[in-house]
Amino acid sequence: MDMENTNLFEFAEFDELESEHIAAPRYSYWKSVWRTFFKNKFTVGVAILLLIIIAFALIQPMISGYSPIITPNINNASLKFVKPCKDHIFGTDHVGNEVFDAVWAGARNSIIISFICTAINMLVGIPIGALWGFSKKMDRWMIEVYNVISNVPFLLLAMILSYVLGAGMRSLIITMTCTEWIFVAYFIRTQVMIIRDREYNLASKCLGTGTWTMILKNILPYLISVIMTYVSREVPSLISYEVFLSYMGLGLGTTNASLGQSIAMYTSYMNGYPHLFWIPVSVLAIISISLYIVGQKLADAADPRTHM
Amino acid sequence: MNRGYIWKRLLRSFLSIMIIMLIVFTMIFTLVPRDNIFFEDSTYRKLSSKSDDKTEYVYSTWEKLGYLDYVRINDYCLSLYEAGSPEMSSAVEPDSKESQDFVELYKSQGYTVEQYLGSKRYYAYKDIPVIKRMGSWLSHLLVIDTPFSVQDEGNPDLERYIKLGKTPTGGLAVIGSGTTYKYLFYTDSHFPWIHQNFIRLNFGASYPTYQGLEVMRVLFQTQGTEVKRSVTFETGREAESGIIFGTLQYKPVLDRMDTKKFTDHYATYEVYRSQPSMIGTSFIMGIIAMILAYSLGLPFGLLMARHKDRLADKLGMVYIIFIIAVPSLAYIYLFRYLGTKLFGLPSVFTTYGPEDVRSWILPVISLALPSIASLMLWTRRYVVDQMSADYVKFAKAKGLSQGEIFRGHIFKNAIIPIAQGIPASLAVCITGAIITEAIYSVGGMGKMLPNAIKQYNNVMIVALAFMFSTVSVLSVLAGDIVLTKVDPRISLSEKAGRS
Repeated sequence: MDMENTNLFEFAEFDELESEHIAAPRYSYWKSVWRTFFKNKFTVGVAILLLIIIAFALIQPMISGYSPIITPNINNASLKFVKPCKDHIFGTDHVGNEVFDAVWAGARNSIIISFICTAINMLVGIPIGALWGFSKKMDRWMIEVYNVISNVPFLLLAMILSYVLGAGMRSLIITMTCTEWIFVAYFIRTQVMIIRDREYNLASKCLGTGTWTMILKNILPYLISVIMTYVSREVPSLISYEVFLSYMGLGLGTTNASLGQSIAMYTSYMNGYPHLFWIPVSVLAIISISLYIVGQKLADAADPRTHM
Repeated sequence: MNRGYIWKRLLRSFLSIMIIMLIVFTMIFTLVPRDNIFFEDSTYRKLSSKSDDKTEYVYSTWEKLGYLDYVRINDYCLSLYEAGSPEMSSAVEPDSKESQDFVELYKSQGYTVEQYLGSKRYYAYKDIPVIKRMGSWLSHLLVIDTPFSVQDEGNPDLERYIKLGKTPTGGLAVIGSGTTYKYLFYTDSHFPWIHQNFIRLNFGASYPTYQGLEVMRVLFQTQGTEVKRSVTFETGREAESGIIFGTLQYKPVLDRMDTKKFTDHYATYEVYRSQPSMIGTSFIMGIIAMILAYSLGLPFGLLMARHKDRLADKLGMVYIIFIIAVPSLAYIYLFRYLGTKLFGLPSVFTTYGPEDVRSWILPVISLALPSIASLMLWTRRYVVDQMSADYVKFAKAKGLSQGEIFRGHIFKNAIIPIAQGIPASLAVCITGAIITEAIYSVGGMGKMLPNAIKQYNNVMIVALAFMFSTVSVLSVLAGDIVLTKVDPRISLSEKAGRS
């Protein structure tokens, strides 16, 4: 070796701190969730469609000011039962109102109700279910509470709530949450029971971790994807539930629009004027299916095992 | 199987059912306005002009339904004087001494005392607490037929016995006299072939709809037109009749026709009709749909798992998402539309009636669709979870073919949680399908609860709530027992698992 080459190098000093550093790529949970979610173009497409629909459902009713009890064209026979055309995109119904306005006003209420109810059911059901699954003592009597609550005839309950509180958004939300949470709790309980006795939890318990810390730090993060799957089924199923209640005459009442009310109301015109039935049903199907797909994909993305 | 565990669990299930019933009683009798029960009552509407009769009708109906205890001044005076005596007629008037006693006595017992609008006579009423109401319902629930059930003053010579014998149609029977039913136990050629009248459930008489008819008869009685056949009655008289001899009941006062047919006082009977009962219709429909669902859902789910992430799996997923995301109301209409347009099937059940197979096809398919979807989803899930298990790798290493592994090993393990659900799906058949039955206008159980609630038929609501919750709670227990039968590793009680 000659001198010139040795001058090109410098001696590096030994750094004790640097040698302790582990050269793993930086990992952020939520960033990874979003990265996995946006990887699939189909999912992104559905998510954008869903956002557009929700935004439209929130804004359009403000412009149209639709209400099922305002019927300016009720005496104008030429404006009733118009098939979809250029002037009336979705046609008109039996009282001469635009189906387009009715559907979007209905979609807004249906979406709001199903989101609020899902939030309430989850916020109540998950903590109770987690504790229920964790404590064997609690399980013995909670299973009977479950037996009782899940067997009280829900139609009777819905009927009585609409007497006591009157028909409307508030009583509908109470109807759809007052027993529904126990099913969420039961589901979570079974999931928690499956993983509560795993070795890492036993170890954690031996080290003196408290119940809530174990539930919050050890168990719930493990269940995020399962919970997301449940949520993605819960939202469409609550919309479906609302349709059912409206069909039974226990929905929002005649003064408010909802997709369930529209479908129940237009059912009788199904043979003569099929557009009246199929348009709200299709809109409902599109909303439910896209909510379900986005939820499922979010659940997949929320599972850390898919991040690698 | 731990017998002690099952007894304890049965006891707890029974307590749960009692709590459910207490909640139902509280809801019906305290939260629903009690004036509502008259909405559907035609007698009440006719009475509206005559105020005294109306008051009388309203309070005696409430008393009959168990809302309150109702006492008229007449009842009070009858305990003091003979009916029709002069003291009696003066005592019931509002200014008599007896009336003052009546008011004082019942006020001190916590009754509300009021006067009729027209005659100004007194009456008193007091609400019966929910617990007491439920207690009296429970105490009348089970009726056991004995030779001393009939107490008829008009027929003091009634024999009292139970003996073996035969029905007029030739079946074996246990014949009673002095019992409410003549044939306490009998066999015949009709489903379920062996019948008994020893122990009956008594839910009371339906009101205001199906007025006066026992709830059990409303639900279990066959519907449609009478099916007549030639029969020989006990007196030797031959006639065309749809009589079911097994249902012969004691009748206190016989008319001329009865004495021509029967030699004893058992002359009230039911007849064979052309259509199955409400509960029968729902059950037949539910069972066929369930068989269809299991025989399609399981293989399809298995197929999806075997072809995971390939075409079959994706097609199956599209179907599952469709069923989950679209409200049942919408897809039932869709399939009804397709069925009537493409295959010319009847759009409502009543077009051809239950005698025709074509009527059943669309409702059964509509009922099976969601069950097929959920069975596919869960079968796929369980099979996929099993596919990476060690025993599968071992079977592969042993040289078993893919098909053998799936049929002989994976399927057996994956079926365990599905087998647990079978009793529950059987139980659902009884309750009927509300939407499906409404859309196809099927005369089944589905409409009973919603209608009973709408029409304030409290007796019916209580009976249905009891039947449904009992069946459902017991089916959860049955599911757990099935679970231990298909998988002997699972133990229900904690102790047995540890030892």
